[in-house]
Amino acid sequence: MADKGLICTMKASYADFALDTSFTVKEGELACIIGPSGCGKSTTLQLIAGLITPEEGSIFLNGKDIINESVHERHIAMVFQDYALFPHMSVAQNIAYPMKLRHMPKIQRTAEVKRLLALVSLDGYQKRKPQELSGGERQRVALARALASQPQLLLLDEPLSALDAKLRKHLRTEIRRIHEETGITTLYVTHDQEEAFSIADTIIVMQEGRVGQIGSGEEIYHKPNSLFVASFMGEGNTLPYSLIPRNLATQPGMTKEVFKPLEGEHTIFFRPEHVTIQDDVQLPLPEFFPHLEFKNAQVVGCEFQGDHFRVSLLWEGHPIIAHALDRPRSAIVRLSVRIGKMREFLDGQLVRN
Amino acid sequence: MTKQVGGEYKGFYKAMPAPGAIVLLVLFLVPLFFTLSSAFLTEEGFSFSRIRQTFTSAYTVRILLFTLYQAALSTLFSVLVALPGAYLLANYSFRGRRFIKALTTVPFVIPSILVVLGFVIFFGNNGFLNRLLMKIFSLDKPPIQILYSFKAIILAHTFFNFPIVMNLVSTYWEHMDTHCEMAAWTLGAKKWETFRSITLPRLLPSVISAATLVFLFCYNSFAIILVLGGGPQYTTMEVEIYRLARTSMDIGGAAALSLFSILVTSVLLVWYNKSQKMLARSEAYNTSSTRLPKKPATLTGKLLAFFYSLVTLLFILGPLVSIVVRSFMASSTRSGTESFSFKWYAQLFALERGTGHMGSALEALTNSLLIASLVAIVTVPIALTLATAIRKKGFASSALELFGMLPMTVSSVIIGLGYFLISNSIRGGVSVGYTLVVLAHMVIAIPFVLRTILPEYRKMPLSYIQSSLTLGASPLRTFFLIEIPLLKGALITGGMFAFALSMGEITATLTLANSAIITLPVIMYRLIGSYNFQGACALGSILILVCSIVFLVSELAKGENNGR
Repeated sequence: MADKGLICTMKASYADFALDTSFTVKEGELACIIGPSGCGKSTTLQLIAGLITPEEGSIFLNGKDIINESVHERHIAMVFQDYALFPHMSVAQNIAYPMKLRHMPKIQRTAEVKRLLALVSLDGYQKRKPQELSGGERQRVALARALASQPQLLLLDEPLSALDAKLRKHLRTEIRRIHEETGITTLYVTHDQEEAFSIADTIIVMQEGRVGQIGSGEEIYHKPNSLFVASFMGEGNTLPYSLIPRNLATQPGMTKEVFKPLEGEHTIFFRPEHVTIQDDVQLPLPEFFPHLEFKNAQVVGCEFQGDHFRVSLLWEGHPIIAHALDRPRSAIVRLSVRIGKMREFLDGQLVRN
Repeated sequence: MTKQVGGEYKGFYKAMPAPGAIVLLVLFLVPLFFTLSSAFLTEEGFSFSRIRQTFTSAYTVRILLFTLYQAALSTLFSVLVALPGAYLLANYSFRGRRFIKALTTVPFVIPSILVVLGFVIFFGNNGFLNRLLMKIFSLDKPPIQILYSFKAIILAHTFFNFPIVMNLVSTYWEHMDTHCEMAAWTLGAKKWETFRSITLPRLLPSVISAATLVFLFCYNSFAIILVLGGGPQYTTMEVEIYRLARTSMDIGGAAALSLFSILVTSVLLVWYNKSQKMLARSEAYNTSSTRLPKKPATLTGKLLAFFYSLVTLLFILGPLVSIVVRSFMASSTRSGTESFSFKWYAQLFALERGTGHMGSALEALTNSLLIASLVAIVTVPIALTLATAIRKKGFASSALELFGMLPMTVSSVIIGLGYFLISNSIRGGVSVGYTLVVLAHMVIAIPFVLRTILPEYRKMPLSYIQSSLTLGASPLRTFFLIEIPLLKGALITGGMFAFALSMGEITATLTLANSAIITLPVIMYRLIGSYNFQGACALGSILILVCSIVFLVSELAKGENNGR
């Protein structure tokens, strides 16, 4: 049994929703909790921090159950969404606050504040007041203050949500760098899948108070185990099984039936970048692997995205999104998707063959 | 999602308000119990007869109707006078705007006895306004003769209360963003149409809330009615309770009427709370002011702004300045002309032997300062600990908030009456009497201090406390290291408020101790009663000085809070 890291199992119910989660974060790892708003990701964080208490469960942090410990005894630091920098204290006082609580001598505190400010690239900011700082600077100070308490676990509650897009990208790289330098086990809540993909070692997808899937970014994106995870983590196309074309285009000699019809809501799912467009109906599809073919798809829109085109299509009354490198040249096109790139779901759950 | 501090701290946060709540409960309920027992207990034992008699008598109804009538009329005039001023203050920048705005907060701290005195000195037959008018228009009779009449009551209430409406409404107006108005203009509405259909409805909650507050003040008005009304034909519930208890010595009747008054005030307070909630719900309020005040464009506008500022200045400052000026005047002989003199101050500070009530002026001053300091020092911690629990959302905290505001349902006269009954049954010495005065003042001050602290406390994000906890501070250390420093401004303001309230308190003090206990306002009341206006003015000037200091300190504390 892995003693190090965070192992938690918690149950809590509220007026409008119930939370029942269980997951593990390895020591020194950065894990992201992601999910739509109201899925319980912030509640999970507050439960781990001890700000609210679960009805039952256990939280093992580095081998010790901390479920009955008070917030201030847990050695878990948290960076809040609004950063919660104390307005009556300077930057240095804010960062020194947790050290002062531990009765660290003043000289040591000053040195430590300097070291932490350097870590978050804010040298010389000691004297400033929180209200004189920009959003990004506040975020870094909040991070430095959290690190100053020498936590065994760092919790970040949507730390970048209040910042603009460009700063977000920069700061998430910074957070990753600081994480690698300090090696503190970190749990990071976000609702932005791009942020989760770029920063996390492990992603925990939450749905309605439960863990939907845990895995690396690639696993989650390419091998989602439910329709919810599939469509929440990136764009995708969903088609009912009944509409799967009868004429499955294959290399000669291969079976025609790939999908077995099942009872229930049976759907197939594929990503837009896996759709190939053949805009000259006369030409064959440039595809040699087993694939599905969608004939006579109608182009209804085409958005230029910089490095690709996002093409909206209509096939048998069903919308399909495709990413193409070139703008389609005709209004009626032929589409193909490789069998290997498709996921099959029954009632929202993955059908394992 | 519930966001609250963890279960293991519930004990701590539950224990915090307990001492304050118990103190308030005792201070409030014990005198009330004494009052009620006098209402129900007659010589024959427990009976409803007195209550029934009081509640159904035509006399009670007449008093109630008059009380409501004068309050309604005073409120109406206050709102009418205040609205143009609120418009000017909120929408235009002109010289002296900030000064006027600051002046409008004066009535929040000014004691009613000063209003009475200022009114007499300024509007009286021999007052400054009449003298000025007589000089300008060379009249030989004072043109304004309104003292000791119904008009005087209404005018004094208006003078006292219109700045309150002006302050509350203009502050709300200032913070209302102009986007809706702009949208209306782009949709083709004319300026007046926009004002009528957009601005006015958005403004209404603040007007209703301010008007309700003024109505409550006028309903509970005591000193103004007692002195300026000048007779039993203009008696309100409050004054009648006082008269029954202290002049007619009909304690039972006073107690029964108190019960009736408590019921009426409760209804008014429920309405006030409703208007406050409505105000809080209205989305128009924007904490960062987006309204850019512009200069009055037209000459008429400029003239109007100037004229209105002048009138405001005259109405608010005139009486106060008159008091100070008059305090330095004394006539050398009985009928001689008045000239500059330190006579009254010399008497006040016992440098010269004081005659009549002036003899005990110094004692009254030291008494008042001592009582007010005690009240301020004790009230603030009680209110703070109550606020720690009330600031949270939930049933228990709103129940506690209602409880904290409970003393507001009971007017100062009734609190005074309760403590008077206690002192009757204890029959202690003078020191007991003073203790009772301090306690009575505390009961009156706690809701106000609570009202000062609570909004600041509620503004504090919960994440401050939560992050302090996650950083390793226990709840108690968080309270001292984070919560109290952040509330410093509000605590100072609250303390100052309690001090000023106690310094100027006359209603409960007078009801509690007619002659045995003297405070500054009580002596002022007696001096006015014996027509020694200059002596009263000297004491009044001291009171003005104290209130000004309080006012300045609380403004400074406010400025400090805005810095964050």
